Amino acid sequence: MATIASGALVTLEELLPSSPHFKHGISLRVTGKLQDYDVETAIAVIVDRNASLKVDTQHLNLNLRIGSIIQFIGELLLEPDHEAVLKARVGRNIDGMDLNLYRQSLQLLRDFQAGR
Amino acid sequence: MDALQLLNTHVKLLAFDFLTLKPIPHEPTSFCRKGKRLSRAETVGIVVSRDFKPNRFLKFDIDDGTGCIPCVLWLNQETSRHFSRRCPSDVRLISQMATEFSSLVQLGVIARVRGRITSFRGNLQITVSDVVIERDPNSQILHWLDCLRLARNCYDKVAIAPKA
Repeated sequence: MATIASGALVTLEELLPSSPHFKHGISLRVTGKLQDYDVETAIAVIVDRNASLKVDTQHLNLNLRIGSIIQFIGELLLEPDHEAVLKARVGRNIDGMDLNLYRQSLQLLRDFQAGR
Repeated sequence: MDALQLLNTHVKLLAFDFLTLKPIPHEPTSFCRKGKRLSRAETVGIVVSRDFKPNRFLKFDIDDGTGCIPCVLWLNQETSRHFSRRCPSDVRLISQMATEFSSLVQLGVIARVRGRITSFRGNLQITVSDVVIERDPNSQILHWLDCLRLARNCYDKVAIAPKA
């Protein structure tokens, strides 16, 4: 079994063109509220604060409900117009997650990793 | 907590930390982290791959956000010579439990996995003894914080030899 790349933890607000994570093919783990879902294309849009991201969910068998908090792991694809789409390979509903605790813990985790 | 006590403890390690453990020459069941010997580990993360061979094994990867830990769950207890000297009813129970664990491990679930730290072809992995599927969506966060606290307050502490 080939080694699977870990999905780097990023918030949607951090996923800007200037970010080191804004690269074609990079593996990411993103979290946001499901704002929109197109059944025909299987494209979902998640939002977090003022940022949003398109997610291609065609490979997932997941019950998507508008307004739910969803976490996806997948690879970022940058389209010719520089629009980013995450091609998801794993998705899960995480309704009930404390998003403020998540953001704070993410920072603690990064500080810990940087200090190693 | 001294180094001796950590040897058979399921240490909670983040994947990036786990994957830097070093083998100890002539001690195939122990691995070294900052001078301390470890043999067992616990991880929590999302199951991101699954390779199932009925009656042989289930290999899967756990992604905790800092890396992926390969895990192997053996399913060959009833045919393996390794178990031939053990009580058949015990072996059957172990086999049933492993089969049950294998059905719980599905893509996308958050799994808490415990087991022995082993090495296969030079790559670290967990040989699984327990699997719990986490229903609390905060369980991943709480595991991160547990790992940070334990690393700082326990695992990183230098063991001081007792005075003679």
